[in-house]
Amino acid sequence: MTNQFFYALRDLSRSYKKLFSIIITLFISLFILSLIINLETGLKKELQNNAKVLLGGDFEVDTRTKQIDPNFLNELQKKSIVSSTIEFSTMLTGSLTDETNTFFIRLKAVDDQYPLYGTVFSKPQNAMQRLQSEVNTIIVNRKIFETLNLKVNDTVYVKQAPFKVVGYVDTVPDLGRALLFGDFAIVSNRAFEKFNVTSIGSFVNYEYKVKAPNKDVLEFVYEKLKQFPTYKIRLPENAANNLKRLISNFSEFLSLVSISAMLIAGIGISNTLISFINQKNISIAIMKSIGFKSNNIKQIFYIEILLLLFLITTLAYVISLLIIPLANNFISNLGLSLESQFSFFNYGLVLMTGFLVVIIFCIPTVSSIEQIKATSLFRNIFQLTRFQFGTKNILLIFMSLIILLGIFLLRSDKLDYTTTYFIFFFIFCGVFFLLSKTIIYFLKQFKKFRFLPLRFAVRNIIQERSVFPITVLSLGIGATLLLTLTLVGTNFKRELEKSIPEIAPDFFYVSIQKDVKDNFINYLNKQDPDLKYETVPIAPASVAKINGVDPLTYIKPSNDSFWVLERDRRISWSDTPPEDNPIVEGKWFDLKSDQLQISLDAKVARNFGVNLNDQLTLKIYGREMTGVVTSLRKVDYRDLSINFAMIINPKFAKKLPHEYIATAKFSDKKYINEARLVQNFPNISGIKVSTYLGKITDLVNKIFMAVVIISSVVVIVGLMVIASAVIVQARLGIYQNLIFKILGLRSVKLIQANLIEFLITYISIFMIAGLFGIFTSEFVIENIFRLGWQLEFIPVLNVLIIIGALTLILILINTYRFLKPSVYPMVRNE
Amino acid sequence: MSTLLELKQITLNYKNYNTSVEVIKGIDLKINSTEKVAVVGKSGSGKTSLIMLMAGLEQPTSGEIIFDQQLISILDEDQLADIRKKKIGVVFQSFYLIPNYTALENVSLILEINGIDNAKQKAEDLLIQFGLKDRLHHFPTQLSGGEQQRVAIARSMAVKPKLILADEPTGNLDSENSQMISNLLFEYANKNQSSFVLVTHDLKFAEKCDRIIQIEDGNIVSL
Repeated sequence: MTNQFFYALRDLSRSYKKLFSIIITLFISLFILSLIINLETGLKKELQNNAKVLLGGDFEVDTRTKQIDPNFLNELQKKSIVSSTIEFSTMLTGSLTDETNTFFIRLKAVDDQYPLYGTVFSKPQNAMQRLQSEVNTIIVNRKIFETLNLKVNDTVYVKQAPFKVVGYVDTVPDLGRALLFGDFAIVSNRAFEKFNVTSIGSFVNYEYKVKAPNKDVLEFVYEKLKQFPTYKIRLPENAANNLKRLISNFSEFLSLVSISAMLIAGIGISNTLISFINQKNISIAIMKSIGFKSNNIKQIFYIEILLLLFLITTLAYVISLLIIPLANNFISNLGLSLESQFSFFNYGLVLMTGFLVVIIFCIPTVSSIEQIKATSLFRNIFQLTRFQFGTKNILLIFMSLIILLGIFLLRSDKLDYTTTYFIFFFIFCGVFFLLSKTIIYFLKQFKKFRFLPLRFAVRNIIQERSVFPITVLSLGIGATLLLTLTLVGTNFKRELEKSIPEIAPDFFYVSIQKDVKDNFINYLNKQDPDLKYETVPIAPASVAKINGVDPLTYIKPSNDSFWVLERDRRISWSDTPPEDNPIVEGKWFDLKSDQLQISLDAKVARNFGVNLNDQLTLKIYGREMTGVVTSLRKVDYRDLSINFAMIINPKFAKKLPHEYIATAKFSDKKYINEARLVQNFPNISGIKVSTYLGKITDLVNKIFMAVVIISSVVVIVGLMVIASAVIVQARLGIYQNLIFKILGLRSVKLIQANLIEFLITYISIFMIAGLFGIFTSEFVIENIFRLGWQLEFIPVLNVLIIIGALTLILILINTYRFLKPSVYPMVRNE
Repeated sequence: MSTLLELKQITLNYKNYNTSVEVIKGIDLKINSTEKVAVVGKSGSGKTSLIMLMAGLEQPTSGEIIFDQQLISILDEDQLADIRKKKIGVVFQSFYLIPNYTALENVSLILEINGIDNAKQKAEDLLIQFGLKDRLHHFPTQLSGGEQQRVAIARSMAVKPKLILADEPTGNLDSENSQMISNLLFEYANKNQSSFVLVTHDLKFAEKCDRIIQIEDGNIVSL
């Protein structure tokens, strides 16, 4: 074995140039995989390391919409340091009289202990001190500061109350969802009393962050919570769940893209390797003639490949580590900072993935060494080897593939999506392979063509060692993936853009109390007689149990519908089902019954495993109430009208304290005056839909660009595979080209043949990849995003033309090199 | 002298699609230790097939081959490879050196796979004896035909095999180089006490052997 290692090393050092396409394709796919895994680990680790900072304490007592019991707070303060914060949604404006920008913000009222962990980065630096020492002061986020063109000591208004701006802040350490993506401001908690905040619509939340000297404090709180069942404890590991879910979803998708790239690269690897073996068939025959066994030679080849894999993996991994700090430019606003750190586990994972892919594709290739006989040396006749399968090899390949898929499935938080992805991937591979074989079959039936280049092209396609199946397979998969992503992206963007004028209201209004509801609607109607509006009652509720079991004990944060469980949701009630929420299962409420009945979002029900007639226990104003699920609705959140995951029966709800939420669509923008509305209804907050959609579209665009760039890797790898396949075939055809040369055939005929071959190849891919791209994008848009799908021809054509042009250029460049072989070295058998 | 190699009623058929061609038709042959035997005959008479059978590179269709008191015609490919590695040296008309190995590496390879110590040094000594002191680190393409064949012979002699099989070793060489190669082969076969089977069209070369066998249409016609 030592000798084999030595021979492999020597051979590799002298022949690595012949394995160039293996090196490049392996490097690209392993680099992307390393980058994704390292980024994901780095981000998760950073979140974990900063868990206390992100939470804002060693733990947090969340009393939801009520202040904490004063006795409990006193006891807690004796044992630890407590920072109380109150968050709620409200409106901030630069002026009460002028037409000026108005912001829907999350306002954070903090005490002088805040922050217990981490730092608030503000400008000027003394802003936080001034906030606590001076009355009626506020710190706004940078965007508000810049948009309103504010200076320190300028005045802004929150619910008509004036505040002196003492500075701006980029980020706060305890990032919540609203603070991450939306506008926010900070005031001292002494100012909170000024606001007369209502508990429901303002989404007010009381949080008490605790810095505890020991674990006894937490135990004390757990014990105490038995008296206060509505209070909840949040631990650092539960901080920033939304961010974790976003990172997990993104990295999961990119991991699948990278494994697709690796599997396509595998085709290229086996193709290049068989060419490499065929170039070395004399050496192999000689080795056999002097006593090497086939197994010894196979070992040498395996060692060479594994050495190469080890070196490439190490290089790809190290470069990915070097690149990771660049990502900090994009996440600095999260207050996170990534560091490159070598992880044996991650390195091992990348190496193992590479190893399995290489093994899967090398087994039939390296086994072909058995076909090379030493007797060829006597006859001077060397036949090209072919992939050698057989029961043992097929079993080994199958096992390696199962392990490879198993690794990705085990790492996956979304097993169903990952499984579906792999199923589609292999079905598409099978279809493309069958397509190539079908075309070959039909061309064989009509192979007598008069036009010489056409005859050459057809012969090239139907010959035994044609690259046609490999080209169709690798380019087909790459084109399908890119087309799908393009169509998903364009549909997504179009839906978001078109939904503003067509469906969405102009404003959402929250915190509408019963006593001002009619006045408010009258006011709006006066402003715009053609106003379209909708008002619905709301009350806070959380899901305490599903069929008697606390769902948090078995539903993971990665669940798509986890948001329903995370905190209080708003529920509503109605005599009739909402117009745009068709019932997909069950019946609407029995309006006479005063027992709790619940209509649930069908997707949420599916994700939680809830069926009709199952029991849901809702915690409403601290009381647990159990009801039955009577219907499931298809809720289309994209229409941006008022939608609820849970609606309850009106007879049960009539006694509940509640307020209202409204939407309004103005007939003309001239009727919109946010500042005056704030003046007249200081407790009502308005959310401008277009501002939020703009933010979402911006975010989607950025994510979409990142996804397309990384997915292009699959196409690049696909092109590399095609290039390697073309090189192999061109090398095999070099004798043919030599004979053509001797016979006086012009190169132009061979180029024409190549062009025809390309057209036959590409038209078939064009059609099937187009169909697959259309089918899968429609599936993703309608079933995963639940948006309307529409075929967009221009982006499809653009993608296909770009891929086609690149492929053609590659084929022509590679073929040209072998068009004019030198006669001398060939007749000398060199 | 004891018998080193014995062929008993050996036949060899090549199958080509639906037809079968019988290239060796029941040959009986004994080769003694240290004996030098030349095999002559027209092209297509079966000379090369015979030598491939002796090397264990081809399995007979029927009959038995006994080499060094071991029935080798029933062994599998790996077992035959082991015998070849230790006991049989093969020289080809087209030299067949490993293209990306230097002259020294081509020779030391056989010593290394036999687990012989100081393989490099021994290979170097041998090549120097073969007059290739200045060509040790040259690749095959950098050597002349005569030099390549000397390297190939050095490789076949390196482990002092009991049997050397040479298939027209001078077929691609001029008369001067042919003379040098034939001298080397005999000199080292004698020195190593090896038996030697030579396939050749060169009668002068054949006459140096102890015995000449003529093959015609797959049969031995004269011994």
